Amino acid sequence: MVEWEYNNYLMVVKVLNDFLSKLDSQCSCVLQQRIEIRKLRQGEHLILGFSIGGGIDQDPGQNPFSEDKSDKGIYVTRVTPEGPAEVAGLMMGDKVMQVNGWDMTMVTHDQARKRLTKKNEDVVRLLVTRKSLEQAVKHSMM
Amino acid sequence: MFCRTQTTRATIARGSALEMEIRRGKFRRSVFLDTLQDSDIQKKIDHEIRMRDGACKLLAACSQRDQALEAAKSLLTCNTRIMAYMSELQRMKEAQVMQRVARRSDGTRSSDAGPMDDRLPCKGKVAISDLRIPLMWKDTEYFKNKGELHRCAVFCLLQVGGEIHDTDMVMVDRTLTDICFDNTIVFSEASPGFELRVELYSCCSEEDYSAGSAPRKLASKLSSSLGRSAGKKLRVAMDPGACSPTSNAGAATLLLPGPAVAGPKYHLLAHTSLSLSHVQDSFRTHDLSISGNEECSYWVPLYGSVCCRLAAQPHCMTQQMMSGCLKVKQLGGDPPSWRNVYGVLKGTNLFCYHRQEDMEANVEPAFTIAINKETRIRASEKDPHSKAQSICISNQYGGEEVTHTLSTDSREETHRWMEAFWQQFCDMSQWKQCCDDLMKIELPSPRKPALVTSKQGSLYHEIVIDTSDDISTVTDILTRRMQELELRSQLGTSPPWMSLFEESPGGPRTPRLARHSPRSPHRLPHSPLSSLRCPWPGLLSSDASLTSDSDSPCSTSPCSRHRGWAEPLSLSSPRFRPRTLSLDAKLSTLRGRGYGGVLQCSCQPPSSSSLAPIPAQCIPQATLSCSSSTSSNSSSEGSHSPSSLDGTPFSRPSSARRSLRNLRAKLDPRNWLQSQV
Repeated sequence: MVEWEYNNYLMVVKVLNDFLSKLDSQCSCVLQQRIEIRKLRQGEHLILGFSIGGGIDQDPGQNPFSEDKSDKGIYVTRVTPEGPAEVAGLMMGDKVMQVNGWDMTMVTHDQARKRLTKKNEDVVRLLVTRKSLEQAVKHSMM
Repeated sequence: MFCRTQTTRATIARGSALEMEIRRGKFRRSVFLDTLQDSDIQKKIDHEIRMRDGACKLLAACSQRDQALEAAKSLLTCNTRIMAYMSELQRMKEAQVMQRVARRSDGTRSSDAGPMDDRLPCKGKVAISDLRIPLMWKDTEYFKNKGELHRCAVFCLLQVGGEIHDTDMVMVDRTLTDICFDNTIVFSEASPGFELRVELYSCCSEEDYSAGSAPRKLASKLSSSLGRSAGKKLRVAMDPGACSPTSNAGAATLLLPGPAVAGPKYHLLAHTSLSLSHVQDSFRTHDLSISGNEECSYWVPLYGSVCCRLAAQPHCMTQQMMSGCLKVKQLGGDPPSWRNVYGVLKGTNLFCYHRQEDMEANVEPAFTIAINKETRIRASEKDPHSKAQSICISNQYGGEEVTHTLSTDSREETHRWMEAFWQQFCDMSQWKQCCDDLMKIELPSPRKPALVTSKQGSLYHEIVIDTSDDISTVTDILTRRMQELELRSQLGTSPPWMSLFEESPGGPRTPRLARHSPRSPHRLPHSPLSSLRCPWPGLLSSDASLTSDSDSPCSTSPCSRHRGWAEPLSLSSPRFRPRTLSLDAKLSTLRGRGYGGVLQCSCQPPSSSSLAPIPAQCIPQATLSCSSSTSSNSSSEGSHSPSSLDGTPFSRPSSARRSLRNLRAKLDPRNWLQSQV
């Protein structure tokens, strides 16, 4: 990101964080968000611009983004800067609940990847949950 | 095929239906007219018989379960096709006989041309794609971690009239939630009243990997002995005296029983029938009628429905039904002026171009008149100014009615145009919703020759190798197979999706791998195979998925299996899934072809137990599994010294090496996988 954009972003995030913390210091907000990502064509591939981790066949203890270390869901582990996912508002640490109506809470890693990379779909609509803005920022700065 | 005016040379298979037909030649030709359609079907039957013979031979000769399943599938398809062609032939013969009888009695010649009153709707293309059959496993089945994985081989047979297509075979086990068939199947000549019969066949696939040759010998013995008896049947049936004149009963008895071959047998598991009312441009769910129950060996728990996309493209929508020069009356002005256009009737529109060349050059038409269900067309009375009748086409645009008046140069032209319009209306009324909009049909891409795909297994499956087994025979067989694969790999090219695993020149795509925190070391049971064991310590993790019986003889770890099979990935079809299991996979790597793919960062302290994510630029180290140096590795978990590479040279380009390394990283269950999408 360009320097000033990043600063702006941080400022917005700070304001929001303050607001959220004022709401209830105890509450950990869980935002559910619907994100629509339009795939980008790169040569032969349609890419979304993010990476996922997790799955029922994976070890949940190694998931750095999950609160509950037995959560075998699919998490966004990286978002390519300026990629379609970032543009659509996806953030690192989001847990993907659904993709185009398909459930993603009880799938293997490979199944999850396949549901996101269907060749005949140009758009994926994700339902994600986000722990809180603060934590998401923390992770993105790591 | 054998006309008087043509001299043709053809080699005819002995015992084929065609040969029999020729033998009965004179007699037959005196009774029937030798139509082109007849010989067409004969050719098809002949072809299918040859295919069937080939499938039988393959079934007898093959030893691997997958090959046998594929061959059995081809056999079933061929048989079904033969039956369909035979019945079609039967119907045609009967129709001819009826016609002939009618002709004789009437004394009039019933011509080929059908009565003009009954208009036949045009045919069309029907395509079925993205077949998906949901399964409904019981909870207990799904989470069962030990014991055999009950697997079945399934495929679908799709039939429209005489056209029969089969989908690819899919192995189904409890890790699958749906059976998906990726094929798109297109039937080219279907009438609007078509009935698409979808049949799901399944066959139980046992787990035993018996490398013994006894069953093989038995199978070949059986097939050869049956071959002789089948040949005897052929000779008996070929006796022309045994054939009846009015039907192909002789041929039928020859063909239908066929050689019974020992091998896997498919059973009908479910079926359904789709027709025009099910056609839609999107996915729809249909009910399946299930035959069979839980007791059958070939049972797969179906949810009871099938999802698919059934699309139809009637020819009237895709082809030009009529074209010619027209005159369009310009509104206003008296006397009315006429404009010359070149009209093309296609789909739901009449495109009017300035000139014929415009149409060929794909220039936009001057204007377009809609011809759809709401259009009304009538021939008006003779205009005093023009010689022929004119055609009035009325459409409702919004609330207004707009009428175009067309005329042609001659009465015959006008008549032809009217005929074309009537035909269009007939087609639209028959094809109904297919004529609203053109449905897209993706033509199936030319399929790569199907290599024998290896068995797909779950990550947590295991093979138990008895210590008393003679390992050397197993390894010998496997070396041979490896060499086969090596040959194939040199011929094949890497499929397009391999690039997904290659490092892109752009942004960093190397997945970040968290170092797995060391678990308690495991003891490796001693066995003759210990020298061949996986040198990755601790990979026999205490996952519940592996057998908890620690007394069992050595079981291979999932990773090492995947290592070996990761290589043939570059040569198999794109649908090859990179998770397999077999002893030969392990052995093939250990024979010096492979190299370790254990991913860890040498920069990480071995005793770390935290899950700090590794910076993206960490390049995974490759450690080689040397058969000799395993004992030192078996106990220590944290430290890994990159051992020296084995002497054998790599035949692989470096990009494939990297991608294979990445694949191995993927397949190591200790790594928390991350995938780029």
